[in-house]
Amino acid sequence: MTTTTVPQSKPKQDSIFWRRFRRSTPGKVGAVIVLAFVLLAVFASVLKPYDPRSEPNRYTLRLKPPSITALWNEEAKQTYTDPVSGKVNVFAAPFGTDNLGRDLMTRVLHGTRISLKVGVVSTLLALVLGTLLGVLAGYFGGWLDSVLGYLTDVMLAFPGILLAIGFASIFSADNPPLLIAGLDRLFALNSPQLVTAMLAVSLVQIPVYLRLARGVVLSIREREFVAAAGALGASQGRMVFRHVLPNSLSPLIVQGALSIATATIEVAALGFLGIGAQPPLPEWGTMISDSRQYYLDAPWTMIFPGLAIFLTVLGFNLLGDGLRDVLDPRSTQ
Amino acid sequence: MGSYLIRRLARTLLVMLGISLVVFVFVRSIPGDPAVAMLGERATPAAAAALREQLGLNKPWFFNPANPLDAQYPKYITALVRGDLGTGLKSNIPVLDDLKSRFPATAELSVAALLVALIVGMPAGILAALRRNSIWDNLATTISLLGVSMPVFWLGLLLSYFFGVKLGILPPSGRLGTEFDIAPLTGFNVLDALLRGQPAAAWDAVRHLILPAIALGSIPLAIVARITRSSMLDVLNQDYVRTARAKGLTERTVTTKHALRNALLPVVTVIGLQAGALLGGAVLTETIFSWPGLGSWVYDAISQRDYPIIQGGVIFAALVVSVVNLLVDLSYAALDPRIQYS
Repeated sequence: MTTTTVPQSKPKQDSIFWRRFRRSTPGKVGAVIVLAFVLLAVFASVLKPYDPRSEPNRYTLRLKPPSITALWNEEAKQTYTDPVSGKVNVFAAPFGTDNLGRDLMTRVLHGTRISLKVGVVSTLLALVLGTLLGVLAGYFGGWLDSVLGYLTDVMLAFPGILLAIGFASIFSADNPPLLIAGLDRLFALNSPQLVTAMLAVSLVQIPVYLRLARGVVLSIREREFVAAAGALGASQGRMVFRHVLPNSLSPLIVQGALSIATATIEVAALGFLGIGAQPPLPEWGTMISDSRQYYLDAPWTMIFPGLAIFLTVLGFNLLGDGLRDVLDPRSTQ
Repeated sequence: MGSYLIRRLARTLLVMLGISLVVFVFVRSIPGDPAVAMLGERATPAAAAALREQLGLNKPWFFNPANPLDAQYPKYITALVRGDLGTGLKSNIPVLDDLKSRFPATAELSVAALLVALIVGMPAGILAALRRNSIWDNLATTISLLGVSMPVFWLGLLLSYFFGVKLGILPPSGRLGTEFDIAPLTGFNVLDALLRGQPAAAWDAVRHLILPAIALGSIPLAIVARITRSSMLDVLNQDYVRTARAKGLTERTVTTKHALRNALLPVVTVIGLQAGALLGGAVLTETIFSWPGLGSWVYDAISQRDYPIIQGGVIFAALVVSVVNLLVDLSYAALDPRIQYS
């Protein structure tokens, strides 16, 4: 009997989700921004082919302003005039160029790939590990709960970025441990330091999920359907993974979208401090760090990578708010 | 209250012990030899070995079979309890002395950032809740969304560039103009200058504070505004607020006396939780604005493998966070008489 109701209720649930999601303005705006960045990341190589490691230095184009300024600025007009045809190309470098004459827009575009990958992967790692630990702590309680609670207290007492800096500075880049080298290969990031930064950011987020999952599990564990499953002879593992965990997912999904935003900012912050991705990798935080020597004369080198971080983070924050509107029935006001 | 306080203090101490252990192991796992870092790359192996011996870095970490207490961690902990944080490897200045001059700078910046957050965030949240779905509500929600989405270091650079360099109306970096000299009293420049009767210096210190405080305060501001709004909305829908209105109290009395006070509890919690975020954000803000505080100090120490400074700085930061959390827990009882600790 139960098997016949499942296929019927499934599409109905989906439509409730979408109907509610469509009514949430932040959710829609966030989804559009995130989708736009995902598309940019996927098609970056098609839009603007680029390899950061093998680019010729174009010193004549060092620190030139965005090409749109050619419309009113005489100097910029000369820079962006094609010597052969004599035409001004206002789309030559829409974000301007950096200290090596590289087109900033191309680099920011390719940075999208790095930031999205790193943000999503670090959040997923923290979500899976933290949730698992939190579910175990909440479901079994006892000494396991006490030990994990203590570790959480210790970790949360550190300012997150200090913990991340400390963690990121442990591993040497020349001879990375197997795990880091493996993750580097797996996600094609080509930078052990970036992987370390990613893991550091992930580590800092684990206690957040641990606490969240533990709290949710504690409230669900006492519900009748779990007791019913236990009375029917379900094993402990089945109770946790088939009954408790699936019903604890909503707050975790909401938190997940929000912490992709946090992770994106923190990885960029580590790059900015010189601990994350290293040049010439077009990681946004690293680009802003590079720009600190030039931004007084060439502010665009700092403004555009920052704008990219800001928009990505804004997108995920909005998406998280939207998901909360949909998934968390308490916040309907 | 008494037994609760003791248990809570014991937990804080236990957490501090865990922190010291984590920091101890972390710091020793950073690649690179501090003896070589001190002596330079061309140091002879013998000189490096002698220095390691002198610094006690050749001892076992936790346990020495010959003499149980003659290991690095027990020595470190006993010194720590006495308030001895060691000496900076490069500067040769006691870490505690550095800490005493560095921490007030960070504290001053953090307090200023919190003030920005409270002065702007709380009224914005209250207004948004009172005029729900109005243009003010939308404005407050938008501002708080922008606040949490803006990377602190980018906002700092933008502020420093536009207001400090382009417009030139505020100093782009530093803590005090070179023409001023304030003899330290509390370590808070603004306060010290006023106490010493130097209004011009105080004004200069305030001007230096504005931009970094806005940068550092942006995220707490957003969070305070958000929490104040939702907490106010929550309280305004409660029965006793309706009762207060039904009694014929003015709307002003209802909101300020009845609603606001109860709405503040979550706000206090959030401010407490921001202590760690503020210290973390200070690392970035201080690097951008050349602010001579704890964050830039620890950050420099990490790149120079200065173990004692990293240990001292991070443990101190964690101590501050733990103490603030403790105070927040205790302040609940003061704010809400219904809460009784036992």
